[in-house]
Amino acid sequence: MLPNRSRLSVLVFLLPPLLLYCVAVLFPIVQSLFLSFFSWNGISDMEFVGLANYVRMLTADDIFWRSFFNALGYLAICLVLQLGGALLVASLLTSMRRGRELIKTLYLLPAVISTVAIAFLFVRIYSIEPVGLLNQLLHWIGLGALERPWLSDINTVLTAVSAPEGWRFTGLYMLIIYAALLSVPQELEEAARLDGASRWQLFTKIRFPHIMPVWITTTIMATTYGLRGFDIPYLMTNGGPGQSSELLTTYMYKTAFSSTDFGYASTIAVFIVVECLVAVGLILFLLKRKADA
Amino acid sequence: MKKLFRAAAVAAVTALALTACGGGGSSDPSNVSPTGEIKAREISWLLSRPADGAVINIMKKLADEYAKDHPGFELKLITTPDRPSYIQKLETLAAANKLPELFDTDATPFAQQLAKQGKMVDAEKLLKSLDVYDDYRPSALDYQRFDDGSLNMIPFQFELEFVWYNKALLQKAGVSVPKSLDDIPAMCTALRDAGITPIAIDGQDQWPLERYVAYQPFREAGPDFIQKLKKGEAKFSDPAGQKTVEWLAALGKAKCFQDGFSSQGYSDAQNQFTSGQAAMYNIGTWELPSLATDKLNPAVREDIDFFTLPTTAGSVTAANEFVSPSGIGMAVNSKTYDPLVSDFLKFALKRYPAEYAATGALSPTTNVETALPANAAPLYKKALEKANDLGGKQAMPWDTQLDPTTNGRLQQELVLLVQGNITPEQFTSTMDSTIAQNAPKFFK
Repeated sequence: MLPNRSRLSVLVFLLPPLLLYCVAVLFPIVQSLFLSFFSWNGISDMEFVGLANYVRMLTADDIFWRSFFNALGYLAICLVLQLGGALLVASLLTSMRRGRELIKTLYLLPAVISTVAIAFLFVRIYSIEPVGLLNQLLHWIGLGALERPWLSDINTVLTAVSAPEGWRFTGLYMLIIYAALLSVPQELEEAARLDGASRWQLFTKIRFPHIMPVWITTTIMATTYGLRGFDIPYLMTNGGPGQSSELLTTYMYKTAFSSTDFGYASTIAVFIVVECLVAVGLILFLLKRKADA
Repeated sequence: MKKLFRAAAVAAVTALALTACGGGGSSDPSNVSPTGEIKAREISWLLSRPADGAVINIMKKLADEYAKDHPGFELKLITTPDRPSYIQKLETLAAANKLPELFDTDATPFAQQLAKQGKMVDAEKLLKSLDVYDDYRPSALDYQRFDDGSLNMIPFQFELEFVWYNKALLQKAGVSVPKSLDDIPAMCTALRDAGITPIAIDGQDQWPLERYVAYQPFREAGPDFIQKLKKGEAKFSDPAGQKTVEWLAALGKAKCFQDGFSSQGYSDAQNQFTSGQAAMYNIGTWELPSLATDKLNPAVREDIDFFTLPTTAGSVTAANEFVSPSGIGMAVNSKTYDPLVSDFLKFALKRYPAEYAATGALSPTTNVETALPANAAPLYKKALEKANDLGGKQAMPWDTQLDPTTNGRLQQELVLLVQGNITPEQFTSTMDSTIAQNAPKFFK
């Protein structure tokens, strides 16, 4: 227990950041919640519509549901590439003797390139007229039948816009997981090896449980980043063709700033906030249950 | 967190709007000759035009000249050439009641709401008071008018849209210039069979494809169709609507546009045409400097020509009536309209046409003659001459007519229809229900 004077000084120091957080984060959420009960196009009078925006969103808006499921697909692809890729590369790195620094730097490089540059780069890579890198590669290895305009084909576009986002941050998560893997006690691994544990057992029984806290944090980070994904799909396809790569975030942005339907856009914003909270809660719940079991 | 920031942005707009609502009454939009002393200050023009284009260069020059006699005057030009970004900027500023003295807008339903609220000066009265109204081409002014005939924007350009084509490629495929819009799908099939891309299109910016949806109804039912459609009084399921839906599906089926067009941009499309890969390219006279001068690729220079929008059997509009836009117009903010703004506009608008015509572009007025650039090809003159022979009706681009939500959905569904991802029936029912849902909010 801190003496009274110290407790007061702790409060004094904690208060400004708390206030800043309230002004920058909580206030806008409350504002959005407030706006979501209105119909307002920015220049007309605000009209109170009660729950009508929510009813429309949940029952009558096909684009909303389309974007919601697209966002889940986008999230899944990002998570597989980011977390799966990161874990794989990090594990391989620990068994490397030379060139670790070079590999780490190369993998981290995409995370420091600007989003706009990445988007333009991938638009070129996926292009078919003039032929881009991906289609050229397929042609060279004899898979010419698979050549297609990746960003115009409604069956491939969602994967095509998710991949750059996943690729981009794999290096970052790799670095975090690699640091965690380095902290696994060598004695434990050695003892297990002497007892005849296989490489797979070593990984599942010793390494992975040891890095669990870091894994939970990276999963939450990657999930919330994936749910907020906006810039790359927006820049590459603007949600198209049709609504094939429309995410909740791009749909919300368009509803607010192209359709000037600020009330309804706020309703979608509220949904996104709730969705993020639910996702984080779900991850904590599932992983904790697994850890307890 | 980004969602929260976005939410914060909306909240900020609200807060701004709420504070702005408290102060600043708007002045009378029909009072075009404010009295009082001219006090020089800085004024701003929020615009969506190319940064080094003729309009901006000339207006900068005129503003500098005006500032010589009015020390302290400055015209600040804030340009966002990317149209979707510009519209978002404009709408956000309008919501915050922070529009500058001058701002660009098309005659959109959103702009009409601003006009109804008295936020834009009556441009017809303004031009008449400056004694320049009669100088303008009637069709240049008509393009800027709202449905009720009111005029709140001033044009700075006049353009004609043509289908540019490569004679050699058409000959190679054994096809001739289409006599009717309905000939185009068969023409595309022949071109594809000869290994040629029929039409190069900038799919990324969406408006170029949206032009195509306007053509058949304009020929079949005249300019009234879109006026009715946008309000829900006409439907895509009507004969004129069905004709355009079926025609677009046929264009898609005949693979008229380059593969993967939806993710290709303006320069991609232009390159395909000017490099001799694509046979046709639908673009306006603003591209004359690159299509009809010695800047054009020498390999195709002798083969390029253009035709105007073909008619159809039973067409109610004539061959000399097509898309002839006067570009995005400039609105004058009534709240900040004072003797200075009025005096500057008087100075600038009287001198602008001569300066503009000297650059080789078509002026929105008829009192000046366009100077042919020294490097112009004969085609340049031929294109300009079309402006002297225009009919009374013009095809309006639909993106300036529809409410923003319907417009966004139409742009998305058009790509799907042309790519063959949805059927004409699905397209029709989606669009008709979108209009029914959104039009009433904008056209009460």
